[in-house]
Amino acid sequence: MREPKRISARHTAASGRKAPARPSQNYSQELMELAVDAANSRVLPEFLRRFAQRAAEMLQGEWAAVAEIVGNRIELHAGAAESPLSLSKREWLLETLTQKRPGLEILELPGGSRLVALYPIHAGDGELMGTLCLLRKKTAFSPAEEKLLSALASHAALSMEKVRRFSQLERSKKQWVEDIDAISDYIAVHDQAWRIVRTNRSLATQLGIPPAALVGEPISSLRHIAETRSALPCPFCRDTREAREEYVATGAGRTFLVSTSRTRGATEEESRTIHVLKDITDRREAERRYRELFDSIQEGLFFATPEGQFLDVNDALVRMLGYDSAEDLLRADVSAHLYPTPAAKERLANAIAKHGALRNYEETLRRKDGGLLHTQQNISAVRDPLGNVVQIRGLMLDVTEQKMFQSQLQRERDFNQKILNTTQSMILVLDTAGLISYANRRCYEAGYREHELIGHRLVDWVESSHQNDFEAALQTTAHGQQVDNLELRARRADASLGHFSISLSPMRDEANQVNNVVVVMTDITDAALLQAKLAHSEKMATIGRLVSGVAHEVNNPLAAILGFTDLLLENPDVPITAREDLQIILQETQRTKEIVQDLLSFARQRPTQKEPVNVNSVLRQTLKLRSYDFSSHGVEVIEEFDERLGPTLGDAQQLQQVFLNILNNAYDAIQESGNHGRIRIRTRRAEDDVEVAFIDNGTGVVDPERIFDPFFTTKQAGKGTGLGLSICYGIVRAHGGEILCWNNEGEVGSTFVVRLPAATETALAAAAKEAGR
Amino acid sequence: MNATAIPRPAAAILVIEDEPSVSAFVTAALQRRGYAVVEASSGAAGIDKLRSGAFAGVISDIRMPGDINGADVHAWISKNRPDLAARIILISGDTANSETQSLLASSPTPCLEKPFRVQQLISTVEKTFGKP
Repeated sequence: MREPKRISARHTAASGRKAPARPSQNYSQELMELAVDAANSRVLPEFLRRFAQRAAEMLQGEWAAVAEIVGNRIELHAGAAESPLSLSKREWLLETLTQKRPGLEILELPGGSRLVALYPIHAGDGELMGTLCLLRKKTAFSPAEEKLLSALASHAALSMEKVRRFSQLERSKKQWVEDIDAISDYIAVHDQAWRIVRTNRSLATQLGIPPAALVGEPISSLRHIAETRSALPCPFCRDTREAREEYVATGAGRTFLVSTSRTRGATEEESRTIHVLKDITDRREAERRYRELFDSIQEGLFFATPEGQFLDVNDALVRMLGYDSAEDLLRADVSAHLYPTPAAKERLANAIAKHGALRNYEETLRRKDGGLLHTQQNISAVRDPLGNVVQIRGLMLDVTEQKMFQSQLQRERDFNQKILNTTQSMILVLDTAGLISYANRRCYEAGYREHELIGHRLVDWVESSHQNDFEAALQTTAHGQQVDNLELRARRADASLGHFSISLSPMRDEANQVNNVVVVMTDITDAALLQAKLAHSEKMATIGRLVSGVAHEVNNPLAAILGFTDLLLENPDVPITAREDLQIILQETQRTKEIVQDLLSFARQRPTQKEPVNVNSVLRQTLKLRSYDFSSHGVEVIEEFDERLGPTLGDAQQLQQVFLNILNNAYDAIQESGNHGRIRIRTRRAEDDVEVAFIDNGTGVVDPERIFDPFFTTKQAGKGTGLGLSICYGIVRAHGGEILCWNNEGEVGSTFVVRLPAATETALAAAAKEAGR
Repeated sequence: MNATAIPRPAAAILVIEDEPSVSAFVTAALQRRGYAVVEASSGAAGIDKLRSGAFAGVISDIRMPGDINGADVHAWISKNRPDLAARIILISGDTANSETQSLLASSPTPCLEKPFRVQQLISTVEKTFGKP
């Protein structure tokens, strides 16, 4: 770019050269004309060309132009169509024009033949709008001419500014129309006379006519678009006194949201009513579907204030809470009634504030009729930008039935659990392989430990001789049959053997297949013992009655035999040989008499004497009778006497007979075994009884159950009548006591126990009175 | 020899016993010692005889069939023949019987337990009724 040759900067008026004389009022006249032209001009380029032409004429210029800055480009509006400038000079000029200048600048055109005057055109706000440029033969500009240039520039500025503003207005107006037309909603504007002033393109397109064609038509012609049943000439106006209206109208299968604005003009004619019809058909459909879903869904739905006031509820919720209608429920703040306690309501509010959303929140609510409703709710909170909860929305399920079912189930489960846990029987569940999968509390109370039971075979607890029975019963049950009251011996938790009654029941799965076996085990050891004792004493009583009867019947003939034998022996006429035979009869009769008397002793029901007896003393006296025999045969006697034993009431002689019998029995058993004999005699107080135990280490007893039966003897013939222990039994029973026998567990020998009722104070007093009579 | 056939120098002993062999032995033993004996085979028959006759004493079995047993006879005598109340000897075949025991325990009446020897019978009779 070449630097233009500068002739003078600033005002050339300072050069002092004389300008050709021109009357200044002529300029004024022309400037006035220019101003009028500017005011009438609507199209800027034309005006600017005319302006350049006038400026060239006024200043004797060869050529003039206004260089307008349009964006980042310069547009030359020249007065003459033909430019005197060569292309290169024209380029130079455009180049020069890009440079800013504060005021008038006069340059020499390259080539030196001409001068160029450049004057910036500024808008009121100081913006550079363009440059006035004038080409003249080399004649200096007079100060008057310079002033004129300045005035012309100002005129140009005013005009340009005015035209620019106008065109800007035109543009924005056009833009606004385009914008309005771009809106898909229907827009119709009418005046006070109900005439259409404007419509937008989408409305015109809908009607199939150009927008301009509608202008001036009555607004009622748009009635078919949507109907509001308004009595007014405008189908969309409802109340003309309102500045704004908004409502929904339908027409031709569409639904519109009609928004109306009314502008009050300076005059009646200028007042406008603007209707915007928004097609909300799809939205309405979506809303309708939503509402349908909202109302038909089985779950309760609600919108509520954070305080719990319902804003909207669906039918299901109304039904759930027992209200007549949604209005009924929405009418008043029901939350006070709804929540059984204020605390429950608070709890919910706090939970929402804390978590924002609640999943499966369980709450018991009160229905309108006061009945309780168990609900499960999913609640979410809607918050404002500050985070405050402004609304809560929720879904509510009626879980009353489930809850009731659940609690009933729970009750049943508890009930069953209680039964299982409080029953005195051990209840176990086995799988079909016999492994224990469940044991009730009783099992653990009985001392079994979980790790000993669960996962183990129950049969392992059964005594080996009974295991086959148990396995067979298990098989039977696995095939679907119940087994009741199987009695067998099994190990207790303390390893002792117990007598158990066992019932097995099959448990079936859904497919009716036996998949488990329920075992109910009851320790009937005590019951079995009691029963055995009962059976034994019953048996003994029966034997006693029999014996008593027999003895009585035998005694009569025996009395005659003995009596007549005596009489014969008294008779001196009886020969000596017969006398010897009679002696044998007498002897055998005596022996029979003794047997019968022993039998009667066994059957005797009451002791002949009832006086206080010190059992320890009786024992010591009895031992004295046998001490020689015992010591000479190496039988050791260990006395463990409790001296605080207390007395019993009875016949000391008879009790001595009992003890002697038991000792003899023990002695015989020891002799038979060949052991180093030992008899331990222990007395003690056992509750209300005085108890004597004889523990020997002899051969033991073959059948302890039958040892007291009359004539039950294991001794060799002739060694005893077999009534000794029966007599003991009879005597002890007659004393109100009991006598027991068993073989020592894990040891040799047997134990005999005699229990006699300890004498009470009153019994002692009664006995003393009896004795003193 | 029949006890009822010859006149009795003194009052007889009434033997009430249902068992004929026992009754026969007791009667024989007493008669050989010189006692007069009247037999009755039941409690009722014994009481019948007690109403009409005079007796030196009564020997009665305790357990007898029929409505009246030895205890009843004992009670009847205590009430109706107090003169004979101390002249009763009871015979028992069944001392294990509780009724027998309570009867014996309640009175000093001597009792012979079957089977008994002749000597036991005679010494008890002599002690209770005296010698013939």
